[in-house]
Amino acid sequence: MLMDIIINGLINGSVYALLAIGFSLVMGVARIVNIAHTAFYMASAYFIYMGFTFAGLSPLLAMFCALPVTVAVGLACYRLFIKPIQEHEAAVLIGTIALAIAIQEAFLMSFGGSFLGVPPLIKGYTWILGVKVTWQHLLALGVALLVLLAVRLFLMRTSVGLAIRSTAQDREVANLMGMNVTRVAMWAVAVSVGLAAIAGAIVVPLVVLDPHMWMHPLIMMLAIVVLGGLGSIEGSFVGAYIIGFTEALVVFLIPLGAFLKDSVALSIMILVLLIRPEGLFGVVFEEER
Amino acid sequence: MSLVTAHLRRAGVIFRNEVLVLPSRIAVLVFILGLLLLPVFTQDSYILRILILTSIFALLAASWDFLSGFTGQMNFGHALFFGVAAYSTALLNLHLGIPPWGSIPLGALGGVLAGLVVGIPCLRLRGAYLALTTLSFPIILMGVVFAIPDISGGELGISGLARLSESRVGDYYISVLLMLVLSFAMWKVTDSKTGIILHAIREDELACRAAGINTTRYKLMAFCVSGFLAGISGGAYAHVMRLAGPSTLEVAMSFQVIIWAVFGGMVSIYGPVAGVFILFPLMELLRFIPQARMLVFALLVLVTLLYMPEGLIPWIRDKIETVCPRCKARNVASRSNCRVCNAVLD
Amino acid sequence: MRRLGVLGSVLLAAVLLVGLCGTAQAVEPIKIGVAGPMSFTQGQGHWNGATLAAMEINAKGGVKVGNVKRPIELIKVDTNEFMSIPDATNAMELAITRHKVDFLVGGFRSEAVLVMQDIAMDNKKIFLGCGAAHPELCTRVTKNYNRYKYWFRITPINSKFLGKVIFIQLGTVAAMMKQAFGLKKLSVAIIAEKAAWNEPIVAAAQAALPKMGMKVAGVWRPSPVAKDVTAELGAIQRSGANIIFTSFSASVGIPFAKQWGELQVPAPVVGINVEAQKDGFWAATGGKGEFTQTLNTYARVKMTEHTIPFFDAYMKNFKEAPNYTAGTYDAVLLLAWAVEKAGTLNSDKVVPVLEKSKTVGTAGLLAFSKDHDVIWGPGYVTSLGTQWQGGKNMAVWPYKWEGITFEGTVPVKFPPWVIKRYKK
Repeated sequence: MLMDIIINGLINGSVYALLAIGFSLVMGVARIVNIAHTAFYMASAYFIYMGFTFAGLSPLLAMFCALPVTVAVGLACYRLFIKPIQEHEAAVLIGTIALAIAIQEAFLMSFGGSFLGVPPLIKGYTWILGVKVTWQHLLALGVALLVLLAVRLFLMRTSVGLAIRSTAQDREVANLMGMNVTRVAMWAVAVSVGLAAIAGAIVVPLVVLDPHMWMHPLIMMLAIVVLGGLGSIEGSFVGAYIIGFTEALVVFLIPLGAFLKDSVALSIMILVLLIRPEGLFGVVFEEER
Repeated sequence: MSLVTAHLRRAGVIFRNEVLVLPSRIAVLVFILGLLLLPVFTQDSYILRILILTSIFALLAASWDFLSGFTGQMNFGHALFFGVAAYSTALLNLHLGIPPWGSIPLGALGGVLAGLVVGIPCLRLRGAYLALTTLSFPIILMGVVFAIPDISGGELGISGLARLSESRVGDYYISVLLMLVLSFAMWKVTDSKTGIILHAIREDELACRAAGINTTRYKLMAFCVSGFLAGISGGAYAHVMRLAGPSTLEVAMSFQVIIWAVFGGMVSIYGPVAGVFILFPLMELLRFIPQARMLVFALLVLVTLLYMPEGLIPWIRDKIETVCPRCKARNVASRSNCRVCNAVLD
Repeated sequence: MRRLGVLGSVLLAAVLLVGLCGTAQAVEPIKIGVAGPMSFTQGQGHWNGATLAAMEINAKGGVKVGNVKRPIELIKVDTNEFMSIPDATNAMELAITRHKVDFLVGGFRSEAVLVMQDIAMDNKKIFLGCGAAHPELCTRVTKNYNRYKYWFRITPINSKFLGKVIFIQLGTVAAMMKQAFGLKKLSVAIIAEKAAWNEPIVAAAQAALPKMGMKVAGVWRPSPVAKDVTAELGAIQRSGANIIFTSFSASVGIPFAKQWGELQVPAPVVGINVEAQKDGFWAATGGKGEFTQTLNTYARVKMTEHTIPFFDAYMKNFKEAPNYTAGTYDAVLLLAWAVEKAGTLNSDKVVPVLEKSKTVGTAGLLAFSKDHDVIWGPGYVTSLGTQWQGGKNMAVWPYKWEGITFEGTVPVKFPPWVIKRYKK
């Protein structure tokens, strides 16, 4: 039972972490609460489905083709719809909501509301410490760790990463220092959508594909980034595992209340915020007010 | 007798000098008169139903604007107030047999309670934190609704409520009047001293507190007022649909409110009302392309924002009216001198 | 889309033909509104079933009302009920007041159908439900007969009967397990989505299983829209259950079946899984849903003489097997029959005819109880149990139940990993 909880918690957590990290990045740098983030996650899954079903590609190849397509679509959406109104906070907010709905409806129109399946990269399951785990779930765990490492290296060791970090800290000073803030934001959006696309490729084979699948992960992802502290990548990572473990605990300890796992996870987020209004790893900028 | 004529004359003067001079006020007047006189021309039950729902949602969007627009407390979970009130109204009506005129305001107190439950823990939260936290409240409640199917009816909801009134026209007048009166009241409040304080909290809470204003009290008040008005709309909705179900708590509902309000123009009360009156009937007009309805809707919102990021109504208002640089009074754009202080308009 | 276009033109041609051959005056068609979420499989089922019926009727010249043969015209009422309840009500109102429909068929989401029912009743329009299983919809008929008498449920059988049927199927599978693997006492894991319609089923299961000589290994209640149930499956595996008893109507059925197959949980699945009734199930689970057993309404077996012709015609026209919302086919034919018999479109005259209906539909003999609910039982609508075997949804029940085995029924197959687990 304990092993079950630990392993399921780890797996749930990694799935969420993949999504939350990308969202956190764009939140920190471009100051965009991107509601459409999980819509890109869904888009990537649909592109993989199209590549696999209509173009007859192998799952891996379909995934590699879907990644750049999703990033391109994401950048195009950002340039066309979000960037021109970036100064208006409220407009950005409903801009991204409308964008997510538009993406949802585009897929609903093309594929209907029926449930579809995306093939997993690795089939089958294995036993770990007496718990059955599918390979795909293990892959999600591995990729989540790798992605975190890669994002960290990217942010810490590259000049673009430095630019992203400094923009995240203070947009105006970064601009005054001669940094091309617009380009940095484009980079952040590209990386963020790329992460969403990877998450789509890894996670969607585990679940089902349908045009409304972006809603649930969105809520959990938002809870995670708030819990971890907005814009903090470590925070998102830790938050993802907290929520992941909470869900596993609920299912194993109160099976009759398995449906409550979202509610319990969200309540935990609220509890944390009551004690630390800036989240676990968030920083309060007094001057930002 | 002469007193009556004096009053009438005074009202006439106010009408001529305050309403007829501005195109936006004439537009509002025409809108109100149009709404009130509509049943004289048509009693088509389909048109009336659309307008009933539009009015109810307009009140909801306006109440969101009061909290999130004016006070700046960005609420992503407005469906909570709506849903809680819809359920409380339904329970009051069904189990205690309280008729709509009693169950709606009492149910709306449920909305006030929800406002406090959300408002108190959220006092220390700001901006995006507040937005994302409020989003989770209706979802948590949804879990509770499913946990107590004996009371809430689970996915089925509570059905079999009394009608709002005996006839469709009655329903129409009740919802339209509720919307008009309460929106006007909200608009008046935002124009008062309280309104200025709420506005100040949005712009700079710290400075506001430094000025000796108990911002906590005002923020909680905003949560409660908004909760109450959203509650009224939720209760009316429950009585019109004769059902309070989990769909009133869905995330899509919260998002819908935000889209309506921001599309129409935040921080104005009349903006969100106009937003609903444009977007909700639009969805009906789009029925000739049933598959693409929502897509057209979303794209329309996106494109409108590109050109009018402040929302539709403020954009139009700024096109047809200018503000006097000296006395801040509004004037028709075609005037060259201010109607109040005669300063030159640019 | 093109497919529907062709179909539409066929329909139009049929209507025109009837119009030309009929009396010199243009005959006014009988308008039937088909209400459903048209972007989704459920709504498509509603529309397809009704279309097929209308085609058949119009090909024969229409419905004889008095001395005139009137064609049937279908009105698509896109309720969008999954997304928005107000939308559903507006669509109903539009259909009734603007399109002036004479009858309505369809409806799916219980919460929406309750409101849609009220609108139909306000206007005294006969509304034949083809999708929502909740008993409340029919309880209303008993409570307030004069208002709600215009409502009838064609399909599915109500959730009380659904529960009954799945217990019988569970018993059958349990007996087979005992026989095949020499097991003495079986333990059953109950997994049912958290929804009000499921409460009586779960309660009944917990009470009935010990009486049937089985142990309850545990009860899990995931959310109807859960996307990942690996944790639940892990817990079920740990509980040592021999059989998994499911009760799913929503999307959770797909991840459940998929992950059950991927993790090869060594217990056969029996119960309700509405998603597994649909043709897209196989693709959605990537074939992992094989061996999933569910209660069902249609399969290519001879339930009545109409079943197989209907099934084949449906396959031919829409390239997929019908799911239960395609019961609109029966609904439209039933309406045509009742109108001919009553000789009028007047709802108050048609209702008594429907009440006395004993017509043979595609899923059994269509007759209604006092509360206007379709009657379940041997000789009436029995419903089926189906199991996915090699990419096809095969009927496996009734199998020698009350002397009934429909032609084309096959035995239940156990998954190889279950056989491996128990065969010594």
